[in-house]
Amino acid sequence: MSKLLEIALGVVTGIGGFLEAGSLATAAQAGAAFGFRLVWALALGTVCLAFMVEMAGRLASVSHHTLPDAMRERFGIRFFLVPLVTVALVSFLVLASEIGGVCLALQFATGVPLRWWVAPVILGLWLFLWKGTFGMVEKGASLLGLVTIAFVVGALKLGPSPAELAAGLLPSLPGHDPAKYWFIAVSIVGASVSPYLFYFYSAGAVEDGWDESYLGINRIVAGGGMAFGGGIAAAVLVCAAMVLHSGGIQVDRYEQIPMILSSPLGRWGFRLFVASLAIGCFGAALEIALALAYLVAQGLGWRWGESLQPRQAARFALVYTLALPLAGLVIVTGIDPLKLTIFSMALTALSLPVTVVPLLVLMNDPQYLGDHTNGWLGNAAVLAVSVVACVVALVAIPLQIFGG
Amino acid sequence: MLLGRDVLDQQVIDVAGHEMGKVDGVGLELRDGEPARVAFIVIGGTTLLWRIHAGLARWAERRLGGEGHRARIPWQQVLKIGVDVKVDVKAERSRALHWERWARHVIRRIPGS
Amino acid sequence: MSAAREVRLERLLGKLVVDAAGVPVGRIEELEAEPAGDAYLVTHAHLGPESHVARLLAFGHQLPTLRTLGIGRKPRMRRVPWAWLDLSDPERPRLRRSVLEDS
Repeated sequence: MSKLLEIALGVVTGIGGFLEAGSLATAAQAGAAFGFRLVWALALGTVCLAFMVEMAGRLASVSHHTLPDAMRERFGIRFFLVPLVTVALVSFLVLASEIGGVCLALQFATGVPLRWWVAPVILGLWLFLWKGTFGMVEKGASLLGLVTIAFVVGALKLGPSPAELAAGLLPSLPGHDPAKYWFIAVSIVGASVSPYLFYFYSAGAVEDGWDESYLGINRIVAGGGMAFGGGIAAAVLVCAAMVLHSGGIQVDRYEQIPMILSSPLGRWGFRLFVASLAIGCFGAALEIALALAYLVAQGLGWRWGESLQPRQAARFALVYTLALPLAGLVIVTGIDPLKLTIFSMALTALSLPVTVVPLLVLMNDPQYLGDHTNGWLGNAAVLAVSVVACVVALVAIPLQIFGG
Repeated sequence: MLLGRDVLDQQVIDVAGHEMGKVDGVGLELRDGEPARVAFIVIGGTTLLWRIHAGLARWAERRLGGEGHRARIPWQQVLKIGVDVKVDVKAERSRALHWERWARHVIRRIPGS
Repeated sequence: MSAAREVRLERLLGKLVVDAAGVPVGRIEELEAEPAGDAYLVTHAHLGPESHVARLLAFGHQLPTLRTLGIGRKPRMRRVPWAWLDLSDPERPRLRRSVLEDS
């Protein structure tokens, strides 16, 4: 495949695969509650994400190690256990929210309550992973995910004031409800900088056989894909701001959210919303389940690979085969999928340093990156965002739980 | 060569190019009056437990009556140390893949595996 | 015929080494080995800081951003010839000399 085509495909995949339960829910809540005031959090999260995805790709291309593989090698099993357990737990909750998102979309579409959809959705996800290849997961779901461009269409139709939008890019203190403001701000960062993305991306770079000649492609795909993908999340925020915030409608229950598209786009808006939610969450669930399997298998040295037959990588296949129904059980308990989603995004932000610090140590180690170690900007930006997000989350999460 | 950095926790690849596991342990042979020799590498079993918590490892070995399903590969069979550790062993025959074979047995019933 | 004993690298790493006078010297961070014919022989042990706080600060030293900010200290490492180590009790490695002998 020509490099240009690979770049185009990579960027498009990044865009289509960006929106999922977390970014959708946090952006919608942010827009509804605070108008454009939280655009800066989205921009910050997206920029940090772009840096980190590029790093994961560079690590894989130059060292030929995936991230979990390199972490185990560099830090030993004792230190590796910390990110392993933390990321596994948090990703598991995010997986449950994505499954909840798909079931919710199906509830919107058919009226059948979401708990009934858990089993068929789990089966569908599992079949896709069992029989599919890496290419199918990476490109298939993400290309279909381009339906989320509907939010951009809706946002343009609603005609936001560019001046107000630009003002939102500057961090500002909230006029009201500061605990909720900062809670949503860290949730947005957590939704953008999800660790499962790096594990998925680095495994993909190794599966696709990337080497040093791919460093340029990596930069464009990571930067372009994530930046444009963030634009879609921004569109969700804009729609929510213009439809709900102006109307004084708070997003507390998920039934309210489809309004943000059905208002500008009518009946088709509703259908596109449902499709976006279903496809976005389905794709994300596939990636998280795989990321969990990559994390365990690569950290422990098992044979792994989505493109392999399950019996060729049996333990690897067992991880996602067990993770999916367990995550589904969480939704079956009847927990509110919106609350679960937002909460798991905040938890992601809280646990960011655990993922980020080992990655940064690796990215500055010439043993792994040779001449391609990090520049000062990438180091500083990523470290700053993750430490600040963690500290703010430490304060905001308890306040939200005990204050709200 | 630094044993911790270059050998321990590295990926082990067999003659067929397949992953066998990680170097969970390295065995040194101490001889009186002579320098210690790097004798073997260990994959699997209770080896990792010893590095996480010695008490847990001792308990596990008591219950299992030994080191569990672990593979010892003599140092002479280590071919190359680089991005990973290549060994002159067929993974399929090795105890290192005991749990992989068990998992294969479990999923064999599922169609399409 | 010299008696041979087996000792595991991964169980040595992190163990505190004490010198002949009972003074803590450092924790075993690494072992260096050199090829000698067909075999690899262990030549040196690298001893790092004994306190866990110092080891944590050493970790921070690996991040350029923290280094610039002054957080994180380069750890003081000692490279000790293997022959100086007495591993008759692998849980409590000892140095056959006293560190006061070296300046």
